[in-house]
Amino acid sequence: MQDIRIKDLPPPHGGKLVERVVRDPQMAWKLMEKCSAVYDIKPTLFKGNPVRNVYREIMSVCYGFFSPVEGSMTKAEVESVLEKRRLLSGWVFPYPIVFDVSEEDFKRLGVGPGDWLLLRLKGEPFAILEIEEVYEINPQDIAVRTFGTPEKNPEVVKVPFDQKHTGYNIYCSLNPIILAGKYTIINEPKLRPPFNRFWYPPKKAREEFKRRGWTTVIAHQTRNVPHTGHEALMKMAAYIGDIKPCDGIVVNAIIGAKRIGDFPDEAIVEAHEMLHLAGYIKPERHMVTITLWDMRYGNPIESLLHAVIRQNMGISWHMFGRDHAALGEYYDVYATQILWSKGIPSFGFDAPPYAVPGGFYIRPQNIAEFWYCPKCKEFAYSDNCTHKGIYSRYSGSFIRGLINEGVTPPPEIYRPEVYKVVVKWWKEFGYPFNNAKYLKEREERLEVDLPHMDIPEHLKKKIV
Amino acid sequence: MAKYFGIIIDEKRMAAIKGTPLEEKVEPIFGGALKRLVIEVSDELGQKVIEQFSRARFDARGFIEETPAAFKRLVFKKVAEMKSLGPEVLEKAIEEIPSIQEEIEKEDRELPVPDIDISDILELQKNPVQKPTQ
Repeated sequence: MQDIRIKDLPPPHGGKLVERVVRDPQMAWKLMEKCSAVYDIKPTLFKGNPVRNVYREIMSVCYGFFSPVEGSMTKAEVESVLEKRRLLSGWVFPYPIVFDVSEEDFKRLGVGPGDWLLLRLKGEPFAILEIEEVYEINPQDIAVRTFGTPEKNPEVVKVPFDQKHTGYNIYCSLNPIILAGKYTIINEPKLRPPFNRFWYPPKKAREEFKRRGWTTVIAHQTRNVPHTGHEALMKMAAYIGDIKPCDGIVVNAIIGAKRIGDFPDEAIVEAHEMLHLAGYIKPERHMVTITLWDMRYGNPIESLLHAVIRQNMGISWHMFGRDHAALGEYYDVYATQILWSKGIPSFGFDAPPYAVPGGFYIRPQNIAEFWYCPKCKEFAYSDNCTHKGIYSRYSGSFIRGLINEGVTPPPEIYRPEVYKVVVKWWKEFGYPFNNAKYLKEREERLEVDLPHMDIPEHLKKKIV
Repeated sequence: MAKYFGIIIDEKRMAAIKGTPLEEKVEPIFGGALKRLVIEVSDELGQKVIEQFSRARFDARGFIEETPAAFKRLVFKKVAEMKSLGPEVLEKAIEEIPSIQEEIEKEDRELPVPDIDISDILELQKNPVQKPTQ
């Protein structure tokens, strides 16, 4: 009889973890000497507000979260991703990853294929882009094709995407010139507190899982402070395993440019951490991690990126609930679960993403809904509880509304310690949610600091 | 699908509607941890409320959410004055939005921090399980 126990972590997506981080200062200097020009990374703006910073994509590429992607995609690769959700190598990948500059900046840089470009962040050397190709894009075309349309993708797209959708705005706001090529980080950034204790790039995550003795791990995607329904979801989903429930539950918080009205990322990560610090989930079984990425809110498309990231981290299952990584009503409420149960042919999946060539080892746990039922006396699962009219459904908007009105969420909604983390950061920032002031200051300080590093003399007059 | 506008009823608001037919309409949620009144509205009226505020939306339960707290206070005031949970309450509140515009704008910048003791969680955070990894 075949042994059903899982003995190893799944392999990285694409077979090998990318790691493009140079830690030797002498090597970093040699690489900088090969550069023709310097570019100061700027945020992508939509109506004057920062909606993306490409540095986060560079971090996620170079530290292996997006393996096997190694840099800014060529035109052919972008086409492959948009048409088939596959890299040219055949591995599943959902989003174009590109380094965009304005026409004016491109002229001033004076670079082309074969040139190396030094990228600076917060005034310090950060990474190198080895330019392989330069091409133009139509940003709106990229935006429409990234998310799909009701005509082309009727299985799951309900209404056309428009400027109320943050991810759509990110792609629409890209500059028209793309510099394609591999990234290499040459000055390792330091994560700022509190993010620094949650920084587990795939190589480190796998080492940590081995240290903890974990082989069966399930991922929980988050962009929110956890209410008791989220907590119930994590605990129940972890009952999948092999001959026993999962060894570990990994919360992977997506950290990046956010929307006004969301909770600050600092509160999100610490609130999740508080679930194990306050003993609601044993710390031996629960870990909080982060990935740097400006969310595209692409629901099923985003779930593919989540699978890439979490499989690369060594995770075997991913829980998917209602409205996964969603915004508004563009996609079917259960679009991600449709993808992961039967596929979405119009997006290139005749079968679920774990059952297609170039697909994933990571498997879904498609979860319906949790609610609070006073008759069941528990945070009940919707496929179990039948007490309609008695149970109360969770709503993130409703909870934020309570906080806005000055109502303390009761323990049936937020663990008291979780709410106190919200209050801690409320005191810090003067406001419980992201507002214009927080977003502006956040984009100035980012999540990292860079050590000071000199640049070669020949580059000092070529900074754009 | 019907749409709804919920109003949280705390002790102060309960006192304001005591002795009126509204009192019987108060319903417990989350096992009684919170109480609310619910105004049921048509899709059109719901959409009209949503359009007044840039972040307002229908959530998965069909409730109008992400309206300013000042608007919710205004709606309750109308409910108590008109002693009704009919759609006319929301129509009246929408008419009076200009009177609370300043409050709404202030809400985007300032919300008073609750005066609660958070020393217990700060203590827990002094010795985190996960230490900095760099």
